Amino acid sequence: MRLPAQPGEWIDRTTPLGFRFEGRDYTGFAGDTVASALAAAGVSMLGRSFKYHRPRGLLSAANHDVNAMMQWGGMPNLRADATPLAAGMDLEAVNTFGTLERDAGSMLGHLSRFLPVGFYYKAFHGKRLFPLWEKMFRAMTGLGKVDFSAPRQRTPKRYGFCDVLVVGGGTSGLAAALSAAEQGAQVALVDENARLGGSTQGASELVGKVLAHPRIRVFTDTYAAGYYADHWVPLVERERITKMRARAVVVAAGAFEQPAVFRNNDLPGVMLASGAARLIRRHAVQPAGRIVLLAANADAYQALADFIRAGIEVAAVVDLRGTLPSEQRALPAAHDIPLFAGHCILEALPSSDGRRVAGVKIAPLGQTQAIAELACDGVFMSVGWAPAAALLYQAGTKMRYDAGIEQFVPEKLPDGVFACGRVNGVHTFASRLLDGERAGSAAAAHCGLGGAKPIAVPTETDSPTHPWPIVPHPEGKNFIDFDEDLQLSDLENAIQEGFDNIELMKRYSTVGMGPSQGKHSNMNALRVLARATGATPGEVGTTTARPFFHPVPMSHLAGRGFTPERRTPMHALHEAAGAVWMPAGAWQRPEYYAIHGLTREACIEGEALAVRQGVGLIDVGTLGKLEIRGPQAAEFLERVYVSKYAGLKTGMTRYAVMCDEAGVVIDDGVIARLADDHFYFTTTTSGAAAVYRELSRWNTLWKMDCGIVNLTGAMAAMNLAGPKAKQVLTGLTDVDLSLPFLAVREGNVCGVPARLMRAGFVGEWGVEIHVPAEHGARVWQALMQAGQAHGIRPFGVEAQRLLRLEKGHIIIGQDTDGLTTPGEAGLDWAVKMDKPFFVGQRSLAIIASKPRPRQLVGFMLPADHAGPAPQECHLVIDNGDIAGRVTSIAWSPALQRHIGMAYVKPGMDAAGSTFAIRLSDKTLVSAEVAKTPFYDPDNLRQKEEA
Amino acid sequence: MSAINIADVSRTPRAGVKGAGAAAWLAALGLPVPDAPNTWLSIEGGLIARLGLAEFLVEGPASAKLAAPPAHGVYPVLRQDTALVAAGERLDELLAEICSVDFQALGPAAQPVVLTTMAGVTVVAIPAEESGMPALRLWCDSTWGAWFCQTLAEVAGELIQPIPTNHQGATS
Amino acid sequence: MKIMTCPVNGPRAISEFAYGGEIRSMPDPATCSDDEWADYVFNRNGSPGVKREWWCHLPSNTWFVAERDTARDVVLRTYLYEGEG
Repeated sequence: MRLPAQPGEWIDRTTPLGFRFEGRDYTGFAGDTVASALAAAGVSMLGRSFKYHRPRGLLSAANHDVNAMMQWGGMPNLRADATPLAAGMDLEAVNTFGTLERDAGSMLGHLSRFLPVGFYYKAFHGKRLFPLWEKMFRAMTGLGKVDFSAPRQRTPKRYGFCDVLVVGGGTSGLAAALSAAEQGAQVALVDENARLGGSTQGASELVGKVLAHPRIRVFTDTYAAGYYADHWVPLVERERITKMRARAVVVAAGAFEQPAVFRNNDLPGVMLASGAARLIRRHAVQPAGRIVLLAANADAYQALADFIRAGIEVAAVVDLRGTLPSEQRALPAAHDIPLFAGHCILEALPSSDGRRVAGVKIAPLGQTQAIAELACDGVFMSVGWAPAAALLYQAGTKMRYDAGIEQFVPEKLPDGVFACGRVNGVHTFASRLLDGERAGSAAAAHCGLGGAKPIAVPTETDSPTHPWPIVPHPEGKNFIDFDEDLQLSDLENAIQEGFDNIELMKRYSTVGMGPSQGKHSNMNALRVLARATGATPGEVGTTTARPFFHPVPMSHLAGRGFTPERRTPMHALHEAAGAVWMPAGAWQRPEYYAIHGLTREACIEGEALAVRQGVGLIDVGTLGKLEIRGPQAAEFLERVYVSKYAGLKTGMTRYAVMCDEAGVVIDDGVIARLADDHFYFTTTTSGAAAVYRELSRWNTLWKMDCGIVNLTGAMAAMNLAGPKAKQVLTGLTDVDLSLPFLAVREGNVCGVPARLMRAGFVGEWGVEIHVPAEHGARVWQALMQAGQAHGIRPFGVEAQRLLRLEKGHIIIGQDTDGLTTPGEAGLDWAVKMDKPFFVGQRSLAIIASKPRPRQLVGFMLPADHAGPAPQECHLVIDNGDIAGRVTSIAWSPALQRHIGMAYVKPGMDAAGSTFAIRLSDKTLVSAEVAKTPFYDPDNLRQKEEA
Repeated sequence: MSAINIADVSRTPRAGVKGAGAAAWLAALGLPVPDAPNTWLSIEGGLIARLGLAEFLVEGPASAKLAAPPAHGVYPVLRQDTALVAAGERLDELLAEICSVDFQALGPAAQPVVLTTMAGVTVVAIPAEESGMPALRLWCDSTWGAWFCQTLAEVAGELIQPIPTNHQGATS
Repeated sequence: MKIMTCPVNGPRAISEFAYGGEIRSMPDPATCSDDEWADYVFNRNGSPGVKREWWCHLPSNTWFVAERDTARDVVLRTYLYEGEG
């Protein structure tokens, strides 16, 4: 029922909103939640419980009412108490078979005897029937339906910064924010509700001050999802996540009011007093006409005042405490409301249709015989609190159980983390103000802003929490966990079965593992375990509270997602030439250049053929390019590579192999000497960043007289190769093209300063041309132009791989792995053990004294091989055992047969001998060991003078 | 002036150098040298920025001086940057989406240079002001440049004209 | 997201850094035994406690030393490498 205007109500009565729930039309107001609008319309049953499909309504109205979850089209699991009402909503309860009203699942309630705690561990063992059980479980468990056609959404995250982050905009949070801001801190104040003020009245003046303060940024409808290292807190807003970095964090998150446990405490109409009070104050909703108030603290009587004011008839106050303070007694007395002190509710009685509470049976504490039955359509409970301490736990706070207030409180807070208010065990309104002021001041002081005010906060005189609000009943249905449908007996049975510590009991019973993550169940479960094992709650302890505090939409977590892409300066030219792109790490490289009407294989073969017979041009700009200068440059290179470079002549290049300290090959490239104290060298594409970083580290350690510059992105590089390459280049450069094989020259190409290196590369006469990136495109274009007359073709990564394989060149990371040493890969010739020191040297000496475990060899398939060919990683089989694997394989147009590289056992590597490779279908293919290079074995073509 | 404006100034001449001898060498060439790491100074037609401890970026006509033969402990750094000027009222919102450095806390008075990553790309950033608006000079390796510019434009574009999201019952 | 303070560039998100392992002194490869060498190459100190570690600030390629209490996940101090000990 809707009440007349309440002071400070959140609804806007000028904006009615029509919506539909379970096929019926209703009207609410802007500012309503779905739950408050339905409550105003007198709808009490909002959902069905998870296991037994019992009718359920609102419990907390504080965003842990998992039984009031609804589906709106493709949006599953909207929490009715936390979802703002929107016009046109068409909602259905989740977890029903049929409709909410006629839920076929409700028959499960009658099977409850067969569904004890952990029943799924004890049944469904037969393998034969398991597919049937699995189907059944999948249909019956889970909440809400995913719409697979829903559009993918990403909401970009943003970073945020502040001095003091205050989590919670209730009484103590507001006080903390003001206190910190007054000391000069930039404050961010976060509250998950639509407005500040928390659950208590009397904070409106504070709210006004906070909203007006220039140094306080307010985030409402926002919650802190978790605490991460160094005060990093994701704030989940409606539209996105803000990754907030604070210098100090004040947790003023409050406490969750806890339910009492008695038979049928899950009937719609049985709810927490704070929830009922919120409905009245914020939404002008009268949640019930006639209630019984179950009390055990001062908060109950403050709530009672709200209920009386709202015109609710109070049939009785049932207080678990035997004696209570006189000012609390006075209120029911003044309104002729019967007070039953030292009594409890034995059971709630359902209405005739079972959809709502219709009465309660009460008895003195400890007695099982009811002494009265009271008619009512609502039971409001105010028996205690559990701190919302998840963020404190995640920050590493040591908590202790304070028996005086029957609550866990912080004992030792980490640096820069502060707590105030109910979460800190401070419940009285005036004390909360003081506690907030204290914490805010301390937080600002932690940031170096002012001094921490020495404020003494009085301890609570009365416990706001009852230590045992739990009443057993022979017929059960007294629920501890409303998410998981766990009754008191379920936990007692779990403990009896041996799951008698908090971690085991949680996992076996699933208490606290539902969507509300134990917000209203963990504390009672803990009390049950404590009593059963004769321990104190402090000794029992709590389980780990992990992020996120509330569910976070996937779109928010996905964020924008940056995957940076790297492109060479010739990218647009490749695109125009029909490049088919492939990623090489972060780079985009042409795999091949597509020609209309030709298959991929035909294009690649054509490119390779052009290089062998004419001329081809490839962009090798993704290679790492480093420059080292200084008197000790040569010495440095000799320490980090396996070969010698001190004697390398200026104007010459040499292949370079790098090992790690274990003697494993990690990178290769070419080193060019430009001067006595000046070298230019390349690395693999994928190794560039790591090699530069590691070389920098070595020199930080060795402090040699040299410096390294990373030119990987600053230089464009291309390789012109083929019998006609020299002709193409003639006239475009001032470099003498009779330069010897492996020489390096500095000069001009197309008017641009360049470094030319004559290398083997693909096995034809070729030069690698390096120019500053800004000239890359121009030089490429000029070469392509000049090459037209000679049938020049651009060639891509696949053709390059094929051409290099024909020459037996290995690829680091493909033909080598995480254990390959130079000898295994046929690189022993490059290793100069007589140097004084190089990285990996000692390891290689040790390895040389042991038998070699494997050998990389070249192999060929028979020329007439028919059928599928092996692929990389197919195994070499010798006598039924694994003897190695294929690392590279390709069809060679030049040799007209399959060629490849493979690891084999030593002794299997004799040229001409055969070995077997096993295909995926287990058939064996015969391969013949071949010396490399496969093509032009004497390397005449790449060394030739024109 | 639009809410966010990004200009490409990659063509401005620039040069780099690093090494223990770099500061003295630059001074000998007649350039003012920023004392403290990660600071910059204005020079005619450009600037000189100290990148970290012992590396320098010189922009403007004076960069031609760095073609002089290097001395001991001086290592020339070929600069082929994509260089941008980003400016506008909503620049801070753009930065908040791509960078975890708190630029507000820096205070441009100290003329700081920031070496960090933005949208996953390594950048040199210098906060500045342009016609009273917050502005930022940015340099990144030109092989990342195309993607970086594209991404900045995308983020800026969405800030100015947000893509409608489905607010249908977005839960907190 | 943890903060690491580069001695040159200041406090930054740890995603800007690469970890380079605990600083360990290399035994003399010319004179140590095979066992000592293998221990250096393959074994690492796994016990929790304060460790001196190599860290690299990637955007500026700054290698430095961090003293980190791996039991409490607290970085005690960071400084540029000045030699052994």
